[in-house]
This record gives sequence, C-alpha cells and structure tokens, in this order.
Amino acid sequence: MSSPSLSSSLLSSTFRFEIESITPRLGNLTVYRKSLKKLIQVQTPGLITCTSRGVIPHLSSDHHLNPPIKWIHVPFESFLEHSPPFPTLHPGPYPLHSSLGFRPEQHILSMSLRDPADDRDMPPNGNQFVSALCLRGVRKASPDQWRDYVSSVQPDLVLALSDIPFSSASLSQKRLTKSIERSASWLANILRPLPAPATGPDANLNILVHMAGGIIPAARQAFSQSLLDPLFDKEAEAIKPLTNLDEGVVGYSFDLAPLHKSLSPNLTLPTTSKSGFIPFLDLFSTPPAPSSTAQIISLIRTSLTPLPTTKPRIVHSAGSPHEVLALIRDVGIDLFDAHWAQRAADVGVALDFVFPAPVGLPDPELPRQVGHNLYDKRYSHDFSSFADFHPPPAYTPVPYTRAYVHHLLCTHEMSAHTLLALHNLAVLDMFFVSVRRVLLEEPESFSQHVAHFEQTYDEKLGVLAEARKLWTEVSLARGKGRLAREREKQNQDAQNINGYEYKK
Amino acid sequence: MPREPFVSLFGRGNGQPGQTHPLPGQTPTSRNGTNRVLYTTPHTHTHIHRSSGVKFISPPLLPPNLAAVAYTTVIAVPQLSCRVVLQYGVRGSRLCHTTRARVSRMKLAHGVTLLPTFMPVATQAAIKGLTPQQVEGLGITLILNNTYHLNLRPGIKVLREVGGAHQLQGWNHNLLTDSGGFQLVSLSKFTKITEEGALFASPFTGEPTMLTPEESISIQHAIGADIIMQLDDVVSSLTVGPRVGEAMRRSVRWLDRCIDFHDKSGRNKAQNLFAIVQGGLDSSLRDECLDEMIKRRKKVAGYAIGGLSGGEEKGIISQCAEKLPADKPRYSMGIGFAEDLLVCVALGVDMADCVFPTRTARFGVALTFKGPLNLKLGKHAKDLNPIDPTCPCPTCSNGVSRAILHHTATHETAAAHAITLHNLTFQARVMGQARDAIMKGTFPTYLRGFFENYFGDAGYPEWCVNALQSVGVDLLEGNPEAKIVKGDGARWEHSRAE
Repeated sequence: MSSPSLSSSLLSSTFRFEIESITPRLGNLTVYRKSLKKLIQVQTPGLITCTSRGVIPHLSSDHHLNPPIKWIHVPFESFLEHSPPFPTLHPGPYPLHSSLGFRPEQHILSMSLRDPADDRDMPPNGNQFVSALCLRGVRKASPDQWRDYVSSVQPDLVLALSDIPFSSASLSQKRLTKSIERSASWLANILRPLPAPATGPDANLNILVHMAGGIIPAARQAFSQSLLDPLFDKEAEAIKPLTNLDEGVVGYSFDLAPLHKSLSPNLTLPTTSKSGFIPFLDLFSTPPAPSSTAQIISLIRTSLTPLPTTKPRIVHSAGSPHEVLALIRDVGIDLFDAHWAQRAADVGVALDFVFPAPVGLPDPELPRQVGHNLYDKRYSHDFSSFADFHPPPAYTPVPYTRAYVHHLLCTHEMSAHTLLALHNLAVLDMFFVSVRRVLLEEPESFSQHVAHFEQTYDEKLGVLAEARKLWTEVSLARGKGRLAREREKQNQDAQNINGYEYKK
Repeated sequence: MPREPFVSLFGRGNGQPGQTHPLPGQTPTSRNGTNRVLYTTPHTHTHIHRSSGVKFISPPLLPPNLAAVAYTTVIAVPQLSCRVVLQYGVRGSRLCHTTRARVSRMKLAHGVTLLPTFMPVATQAAIKGLTPQQVEGLGITLILNNTYHLNLRPGIKVLREVGGAHQLQGWNHNLLTDSGGFQLVSLSKFTKITEEGALFASPFTGEPTMLTPEESISIQHAIGADIIMQLDDVVSSLTVGPRVGEAMRRSVRWLDRCIDFHDKSGRNKAQNLFAIVQGGLDSSLRDECLDEMIKRRKKVAGYAIGGLSGGEEKGIISQCAEKLPADKPRYSMGIGFAEDLLVCVALGVDMADCVFPTRTARFGVALTFKGPLNLKLGKHAKDLNPIDPTCPCPTCSNGVSRAILHHTATHETAAAHAITLHNLTFQARVMGQARDAIMKGTFPTYLRGFFENYFGDAGYPEWCVNALQSVGVDLLEGNPEAKIVKGDGARWEHSRAE
C-alpha cells in the first residue's frame, strides 16, 4: 500500500519516504542524486551509522562501502573548534560528504549540532543560542549560524536546533515552556527559505525536528500542536509559502539519552574529572530499564498522535535491541542509530543475536547474552567465528576467530575494534533485515516474536557491563610496567580465590 | 604526475568475491593455482600463477623484457606440510648497471615477494589498526611478526592449536619472525647473556627464564613464519671493546646451534632460516663474521645485517652487502626512512623492516614524496586536499582531506588507520618505483629525482650523498649548487611557534 509521499529537492538530490504499510510500519527511504543519476535507498526499519568527530569510529574509507553503512549521522559540534568550521570551506558539490571523505553516490548524511548520545550536563542554552561541546570547551551556536553552516555544508537532512535542557535538576514548568517555545522558533528560523545566492533559486533543506517536551506528556503534546498550528503575521510571512511548521518538516526525531536521564536520574554519574568532562564511555554503563522504555514509548506516542503518519520517525541512542523492537512494535519507529552496537565494539563485545530469537534453547542457556565479551579468558582458545549466528559471508569480513580478537584485545591492538565494529554493524543490519522480513511476511506474529526475543536475550545486556569493566581495567593498566601490574592483579585474584575456598 | 595503476582491489576485505581465507579449522591453503596481481609499477604488471610440484618459473610468467634472462630452479609446493625451498635468482638485466641494486623474486611457501621490498611490522599479529585484508589490499605480500611478543601472548599453546601465526591472523601471504633476541635486550631489564642462551626475568612470573637458540627456533617453528631468524647476541651499536667481538663470535656459535636444531626438526623444508651478521661498527669484526657465516651458506636461506640502529652506518651495510653471496637475500634490520631504504637498496640490500611508517602515522605524520607532513600542525586545519592527490591508497583515492585528518589525528583511531594505509602505500610506492627503475636501467635517475623532491631546499643529508657516491651515483649531478646538510638530515615538519 502506498501513501502520500513527501519529497523536497535539495540542490541536486531528492529525498523521498514511502510507507509501504502503516501497521506495522515498513518503509522505503530514498535519496535521488540528479547530477550523479544515483538512487540511494534505505529500507525501514533500518539503521543509521554514528560518527565521532566526523568519522565512523575505527573504520577507514575503504570500509565505507560495507552494506550496513548507508545513512550516516554527523554531529557538527566538534568542528566548532575552528572558526569557520572547515567543512563550510569546501568549494565543490556535496561539501559535507567531500570534506569528511564520504561518498555522495553511496551515503546519506544527516547532521545535528549536538551528539544525540551525549547527555552530559551542559551550561544552559539561551534564547538565541545552544551550548555545544567541542575539545576546546563549550561553544555557543545561534540559530542564524546554524542556518549558515547547514546551507554551506549541505547535508542531506538536518536537525533543526532544539532546546534540550541537559541538567540533572528536575525542570520547572517555566523552563519546559521556554524549551518548547525556543525549539519551535528555532525550527521556524531554519524553515525560512534560504537566500537565493546561497544554493540556487529553489534550494530547500530537508529538515528534521527533534520532538521537544521532555518527560511531561502535556509539554510534548503542546510541542506537537505548535507544529500544526497555523502561523500568523510576521512568523507566517517568514516561512511563506508554508502555512505551518509541520509542512516544512520531513521527519521527526527523538533523542532517548536525555529522556532516559530524566527518567532514571539516580543513574546519572557525577561530574568526576577535573576538567568537568566525564569519559564518554562511562555514559553508557546502564542499558535502559524496561520500565523507562515503556514510559518513553508512551511519551513518543503522545508526540506522534496529532502528527501525520507519512513522515519518517528517527530514534537516536536507543540502548538495546529490546528497546528497538519495542519502539518498532508500539510506535512504529523507522530508523535507529547504531550507537549502542558501535560502542559495544569499543569495549570488545562481538554481538551475536538474531531475530526471531532461536527456539528450543535448553533452559540453562537462558537468558542468552546478546554478544560475547571477547576479553574473557574463556575465548583464548576458541577458534570459532565471532557469532554463532553469523551474518552471511558477503556481509562481514572474513570470519576471524574469537581467539584472535581476544589476543588483540589483551594486547591493546586497535585492529580488534576495527574487526568488531565491522561485525557489529553487520549483525545489527541483519537484525533489521529480519525485522523487515517478519513485518512483511507475518506481521500478525511480530509481537509474539518480540516477546520471545525478550525472553531469550538478557535485556540488562550483562555482557556489555562486564566487558566495560574489563575494558576499563585494561585501559588503566596500559603503559610502562603493565605486565608487572597485571602480574600483581593475577596474584591478588589468586589470593582471593584461595581465601574464598578456605572460608568454604 | 599521472596516477599509477593500483591493481589490487581495496574492496577485497569487504566480503567481495575473490577472498580465499581459510575458515576456522580448515587447513591452511595457499593461493595455489590462483592468479594474483601484485603491487607493481606501470610497466611490470606481474601475474603470478603457481602450481604445486617441481617446476620452473618459466619465462612467459615474467615481464617480456626479462623473459630471456630469468630462470630459477624451484622445488616449490606451497603447502606448509610439503617441501618448500627458498629460491632466489638474480640475473642479467635485473641488476642495476651503476649501483649494486638488484630486483628479484623471492618465492616462499605463501607466495612470491618481489625484492627489494619494505616489510611492515605486525608486532602482535596485526598491523596496528588494520585488518589483514586491508594490508593484503595494499598489495603487501610480506609482513613481520615479533617472536618475543607472540610467545608472551597469545603463547605457543594457542599458536600450536590454531596451526601458526598465518592462521591466527588470517594472513595468507609471506611472514617473517625475528628471533626475540632484540626485544630481550631492549625490553627486559635483567637480561644476562651466557653461552647457553639469554637469561631473563619472565615478564609474567618474574622467574628466571632461559631463551636458548634452540628454544627461539622452536618458538618460531610454532609461529610457522616463512622466514625465521637465528637467535643472535645483540649489543647496542654504541658498544665498544671486547664485548662486541664476543657477541659476534657467540652469534656465530648460536647460528650453528640454530641450524642444527632447525635441520633436525624437519621444519627446514617449510621455513627458511636467516643468519644475522654482527660485529658492531668494527669492519674487521664484520669481516670475520661474514667469513664465518658465508661458510655456512648452504645451510641458511638468507642473511640479515644486524646490530645497526639505522642512521649513518652505511659503510657497514655496504661492506656486508658487497661480501654476502649474490644468490641469497640480504635483509637490513630496522630500516624504514625512505632515504635510508633507497641508499640501502643501492648498496645491494633486498629487504628492510621498521615500525616507523606505522608508528609515525599514529602521531599524525603522513609520508609523501615531498617529505613527511605533520598533519597535527595548524596549517593543515583548513586544507581540503588529500595527503597526495597522485597516491592510490584508499585514503587519498577516496579524497579524505588533510583537514579531517588534522581534526581527528590522535583523537580518533580512524585517523591513525587512514594515515597508516597511506604510509604503507607510500613505502610500497618508493620500493615499487625503485624496482621499476632498476629493471628499466634508470635507477640512478630515479634516485636523483627522489632526493631532489624529498629534500628539496632543505638540503641533502651528507651521508646519503657520500653513500650513493660510493656506488657511483652523484646526487648532485646537474645541480652543483644543492645544499648539503650534516647529521641525519631527516626532514621533519616541525611546528614553528609564531
């Protein structure tokens, strides 16, 4: 079934999203590059690859051809270290693609100011700026600057600036109201037609909007409503020919990191280090609790209810496959970033899960872990490939063995993370392929499969927590005298075990 | 400068057709019977077709201009379990008419490597940050693993279980291991050398452990590299006095023990033992060592020149390379700067290894024909050009800009990988172009062109001028006003505080 599709032209590209079925949602997102005569297609539900400082962590440009890597999300804030940010200086076509080394014929680039997975406490935003974080500290970015950056780097899709309060303190109603008003007005700002000389007479941006309102349903409802309300006077004049904000928006985006933070404030880590930055890795120590996922689903539903169903819905920083499945099932989310899977590669975890989950597993094997912590000594002699459920060979690198990557992890070789990043993206992509297949072939049993998946796989992602602990230990142990320190630890462990046996 | 054809497919590592990596548990297979295109320069596209059994590398397999002169008797079965002999032929037009440089084909159990070549170092069974397929994709056919490190981790047990380092790292090309002696001296605090072997404190247990020549060879057998090195008694090149002579003579005695153990093990059909010439900076000691080791030429597959820490001791390299038998490969250990490599090649060296190109990449330094670029410097922050637009590496050919490398170098591992890919390609191009020039008979011209580009206004290092003069190449020919600088002359792009 085909429903009204939306398209807008961006310089020489056409963005299009077609929904093949509404419940459950299956879609097809395409960008057509007129000048290259090239169609890039992303089937939904599908994945978005994350970048850090403009590059996909651990991969090199020859890996960018891998099938899972099609839609890439670029947080812009790290480029604010220099003024003007260097991607804005690129003179040729597809400036963002070209300056970061991505391929216009292969990749769809979306861009936001902030990293959607970064929920560290930040100085407050102002009426006319968002606080962004780069290596040289906090930078203020105004909606006008954002318009300039966006129009000069020309991403395929861009998130309008949004006022997301990042602070552990609970929010007052006044602060929330302000957040909604600012987000709406910044959206209106970027919806103003671009000045003619910038990109040609009818250049339009594909604008995504982050759904504001925090964890207060009334606030979320109010924000959605403000997208639909007709504008008047000056505001209407500015976004002409649009009559309301929603008409200018091609899709809706939800950042889960700040929502999880607000829903489980006790999980928030203190700002420990001297510089005020918490190491990024610590931010993801806890996977989302099912209860907070349930609340988030209800919040997303509140946001989406009044809005048209024809536009893509994007979720950033979902924390587990369980959460992804629940969001597909309950609120029809179309795209998810692969942040959690890419982080798993950082800490030495090879993902190993399939959808639908295998049936007939013996009880003691349940719940299964979603991956293997290859730091674990038990893999040192394991010469099987990373995953029991290995993606098809055309999809991943040669099946390297667990023992090899265990060795590389123990010796701090970066190649371990390269292999794991490639593998994890492939596993996640296969997961979405299977999800789409079930949605297409047996949509009525999707919920059943989700329930079975939840029973089969550990939703606490214990394997990630364990790997993170070992990763931290290895990372602390690095440097001169490492072997001696490791020996000390081994002795300690041995003593602990002896002591334990003695007590017994 | 036109872009060179870069014949390997970069996409190979991504699950595209053409991969022949062994699955876990499978016995290692060679690329027996497959056509493989090596990294070559424009005039030497070399398709290599191999089959098992006794055979000749017959003329049709070589570039037409060489067909008449090259032949070698080969007993070659590229299966580890079968007989493999290092074969090596140097004939006629593959010798440079002016210098002592030569081009040859070294056939080992895992394929042919064209010499002279640079060997990237995969200390712990991985070139830092890259996957083995990426390394293969660059056309690299010979890498180095470190015995000392692999013996510590993953350890001999794992290596034996998996069937050697080739299988461990999924590398189906040639591999060389050192003996572990150098790391004993450079990494271990309490090493004591006795006639029996090197006594050191085990880094894990702290217990005194003895590394004997036999033990070193035995470990290298477990690793299974195509080329293995004798255990030698290494002294710093700064050492003087009787210790240097003692170490040299002990290295000779240890070589005998290595040969003996290697021959009796039955592994000498699959793995090739190289001797290491020692003797410090003393040319009479070197001569003595050379004489002794050349006496054993029938029992060793090649010779390394050891005990030099790179730099200016080219007199010793020249002396060794001149005296060593022409039918054996000569390996200069620890050489990696482009100017060093080319001087060594001119002196008759065939192989060299160094961590330099991969290590410097991690600090943000990209190597180019116009000298190294320090991408961490602010001047690259807004430069949207690739490192070298003529470079065929994945990084440059995909247009990865200097600006994004500046933005990510030392912050993201991906930047190290991108520059590592480039630097290894640079080393391969320097050596590939040298091979090409030697075969075309234009090596002296190539040397002059390279040095002019690389050192430009900065000035030629004096030692390079002298070393090349000794083999009949005047770097300053046609350029009498060129500047010459003393010292190592390495051309580094330093930050200039402004």
